[in-house]
Amino acid sequence: MWWYVAKRLLQTIPVFLGATLILFILLKLRPGDPILNLAGNKPVSPEVRDALAAQYHLDDPLFVQWFQFAKNALTFNFGETFAGQPVFDLIKQTFPVTVVLALMALTIDAVLGIGIGTIAGLRRNGWFDSSALVVSLLLISIPIFVVGFVMQLIFGVKLGWTSPTVGSDWSVGDLLLPAIVLAIANFAYTIRLTRTSVAENLSADHVRTARAKGLSERLVIRNHVLRNSLVPVVTYIGINLGSLMAGAIITETIFNVPGIGNAAYTAIAKGETATVVAIVTFMVMVYVLMSLLVDLIYAVLDPRIRYV
Amino acid sequence: MSETRVGQERFVAPIEETPLRAIDAVNVDEVPENQWKEAWKRLRTSFLFWFAVLILAVIAAMIFFPSLFTDVPANTTPKLENSFGPASDGHPFGFTRQGEDVWANAVYGARASVAVGVLTTIFTTILGMVTGAIAGFYGGITDSLISRFSDIFFSIPLLLACIVVISVLNNTFPDRGFWGSVFVVVMALALFAWPQITRQMRGAVLEIKNLEFVDAATAIGASKMKNLRRHIVPNALAPVIVTATISLGVFIVAEASLSFLGLGLPQGVASWGNDLSDAQLQVRSGQHLNVMYVPAATLAITVLGFILLGEAVREALDPKARKK
Repeated sequence: MWWYVAKRLLQTIPVFLGATLILFILLKLRPGDPILNLAGNKPVSPEVRDALAAQYHLDDPLFVQWFQFAKNALTFNFGETFAGQPVFDLIKQTFPVTVVLALMALTIDAVLGIGIGTIAGLRRNGWFDSSALVVSLLLISIPIFVVGFVMQLIFGVKLGWTSPTVGSDWSVGDLLLPAIVLAIANFAYTIRLTRTSVAENLSADHVRTARAKGLSERLVIRNHVLRNSLVPVVTYIGINLGSLMAGAIITETIFNVPGIGNAAYTAIAKGETATVVAIVTFMVMVYVLMSLLVDLIYAVLDPRIRYV
Repeated sequence: MSETRVGQERFVAPIEETPLRAIDAVNVDEVPENQWKEAWKRLRTSFLFWFAVLILAVIAAMIFFPSLFTDVPANTTPKLENSFGPASDGHPFGFTRQGEDVWANAVYGARASVAVGVLTTIFTTILGMVTGAIAGFYGGITDSLISRFSDIFFSIPLLLACIVVISVLNNTFPDRGFWGSVFVVVMALALFAWPQITRQMRGAVLEIKNLEFVDAATAIGASKMKNLRRHIVPNALAPVIVTATISLGVFIVAEASLSFLGLGLPQGVASWGNDLSDAQLQVRSGQHLNVMYVPAATLAITVLGFILLGEAVREALDPKARKK
């Protein structure tokens, strides 16, 4: 087990360095004078220019600059927005909302996705399975922002069950509708994964043994089919916590949730590429960290992984 | 059963028999049909397949012969007095805020949206197949290098990566015409989507390269390269083709999501993403909703077409999976 943990930790290092290198190159590809970019395209005096160049290591070789970029990312030093606010302050303000939103979405995704997927897997090719398949294919086909707008219109505007937009003084109740929309993005895949996994386990040898020794159907399903089917699903859902942040950019924009996705969207709209890159760098770091955690949990749940 | 001895009351399954006549009927000298021919035989009888083909044929007609679907010529200058005009003869879904015909927009938007999906799929599939086949076939350091390299691109969620790439490229090439803007979106998507195909191809090649028919080919003198080209890659293609078809739909959705963020194709280019992005103002007011429903429906139907095609091909290539 410890060998596996060490190997997995070591693998994270090149991934992190590589991801920062890609982001760094993209940041460098921006047209125009980097100093003017830093100053928000305002004219700068030579002294300020020198100071900025020294502060951001702009005169160093590119390799050193990249190293600096990676180090800054690790110490959460993401620079400042055009308005002069440190980007990390912006992240600190907005990230908690996104975490709450993502956790809610994750819960909805897990409960509904696993529930529906299990029933579909147990009664394969029945009417429930077929309709679950059709619904999940439809959900994959429709862009998530269209789903978001339609739900906002129906539940927020027409029925008035929740407020259509969230705003800065948010409560958990306000986040329910955005969380459902965010969950829908992954929901279809969870259903299909659970269904396949349950179906595969139903015909596995250990389930036949369990039936052969006379266990009740309920016990067979609960202890032998479900427990084993859920391992890949749990991993998939865990990894999603990272990718949910990408979805959060769209969902938070639609519902005006004051989260990190909304901050990213605002930066995109204002053309503040440096801020966009900083926020995305942070999101990628969270994602890489989540994948690491999930892989470690996977190794605990499934001993086969540890010995590969 | 004449008599039952103690211990024999238990259930005994009937013997599964293959009648001798059926075994005799198999023509041993006949060359076994290849995988693709067999798959095509199954596809021909699949309702799902023809349904998907029908959808995609209609969309293809929309792209190549838009005049079959709408009488409004391309790039018609919109008339402001038509703003939110109701449906009328020749304009089945009315007009947008700018006075553009909603249906004509959806018809002309098909070209850019499908082009993004198809081109991205071609690029990711080629890149992923080549890298995956090399990694799986040669193994060792080559494999480690390719795998770690693809891990890096895999570690950045697709949409996040595209947001950064396109916001940088938007500043670098602000004005770049139809194919230029399609190309930028395609490059951004392809750059971060290929590792999925690489992983799949690598896995399939790893599995196949140790099978007996590859040894047989080596024994009769096939070179390494010939083995890879003639025997391993064709047999590893099936899962890759399925993933590629399904992800084609996913790329079309991704383009729309990027357009919604203002980072897809630029405003001047007709695409479903841009139609939807323009429609978002309407949604909040809850009026003139067909401005959103029409492009959303055409997009969803197209994506569904590609996903269903992928599913049908999957079933045809792997009939065991369906029976299970």
